Amino acid sequence: MARAAEDDERAFSELVRRYQGRVLNLISRVLNDREASDDLAQEVFVRVFVHRRNYRRGSRFSTWLFTIAANLAKNEIRRRVRRRNWFSLDALTEALKDSAIQLADPAEGRESLMEREQLQEAMGRAIATVPEKYRLSLVLRDIEGLPYEEIAQVLGIPGGTVRSRINRARSMLKRKLQPLLRREGTP
Amino acid sequence: MNCREARRYFGAYWDDELTQAEREWLEGHFAACADCRRGYDEHARVLELAASLPRHEPETGFTERVLARARRAAPAPDRVPSASPAWLPVTAAAAALLLVGTLAVPWLLPRRDMPRAPVATLATPAPDAVPQAASAPSGPADAPGAPAASGAAPTDLAAVPDSLFDHSASVEFILDPVPLRRGRPQAPSPALPVQAERAVISF
Repeated sequence: MARAAEDDERAFSELVRRYQGRVLNLISRVLNDREASDDLAQEVFVRVFVHRRNYRRGSRFSTWLFTIAANLAKNEIRRRVRRRNWFSLDALTEALKDSAIQLADPAEGRESLMEREQLQEAMGRAIATVPEKYRLSLVLRDIEGLPYEEIAQVLGIPGGTVRSRINRARSMLKRKLQPLLRREGTP
Repeated sequence: MNCREARRYFGAYWDDELTQAEREWLEGHFAACADCRRGYDEHARVLELAASLPRHEPETGFTERVLARARRAAPAPDRVPSASPAWLPVTAAAAALLLVGTLAVPWLLPRRDMPRAPVATLATPAPDAVPQAASAPSGPADAPGAPAASGAAPTDLAAVPDSLFDHSASVEFILDPVPLRRGRPQAPSPALPVQAERAVISF
């Protein structure tokens, strides 16, 4: 990053290549919108490039990068919520109901009912319905695997708040997916 | 400890952040409580599922698109041609030279306190000569001031400061409207008023 800050374009390209997957995954999991995520992930790196001289060398680059990504994702969520109730609970309920019906179809074998792909899709939708402040912590921790301390830095909140948010987000997620998990576990 | 407290430990147990004593207690509780055991299994299942979500990979050309957008957003100064045209520095230097020259000329030329005698000799008689000039007989050949002016002109004119630059000279030329006639010019009237540092020239 130090080389990128000194207008070394090759170093910047290397940074993009190294982190593009993590940034894209974070944003797409938070938004549950693959199409929009690509554009937003590009914007993250553009912001990094534009503000490259503001990067403090003592701090971790990934923390700075995820801070930018989290802020952009938050802005995007709020923009969508302002426009329409994009992540409505009713929509999730319907989505999960559809998934549950498909998964519970008795005409098919259990293995095919619980296809991993469908469960993952339901999980993606469920994550997208968790309130924004819990969702970001959850994705950073349970999908991106960041340590609590780094999440606290990225989100600019105390470590204790991070823990409580993640616990609440996990509980919400579990409640939302419980019907599917119970069906999956039923012989 | 009861089941409620055991459920509070689920997250820390998953993150492996419990102390040895807490972990042993919780695992002992799981052995005795099927509900908590199942509750934790669901908890772990959800988090495993979240962690196992397929990772979204960027499409081909992502880096190139980012670089293109970054260049448009903030062009690096060392890679983009200078926005200022090439003639600008030359013009600026010429303007600076002109300004310096304009300011330096008054210093190089004769100063305000220099004698103005040559100016006076051009058209203005000395104060003590005024009465003589006024009393001199009129006539084309004996025009007042003419002999003195004609005799001193070659040397005195060289000392005349350039009035274009030396505006400190307070010599004022008042040009009276003179009707031009064909033939010889009229001799200036000796009765014209002549004052110090002011010459009235009639053609």
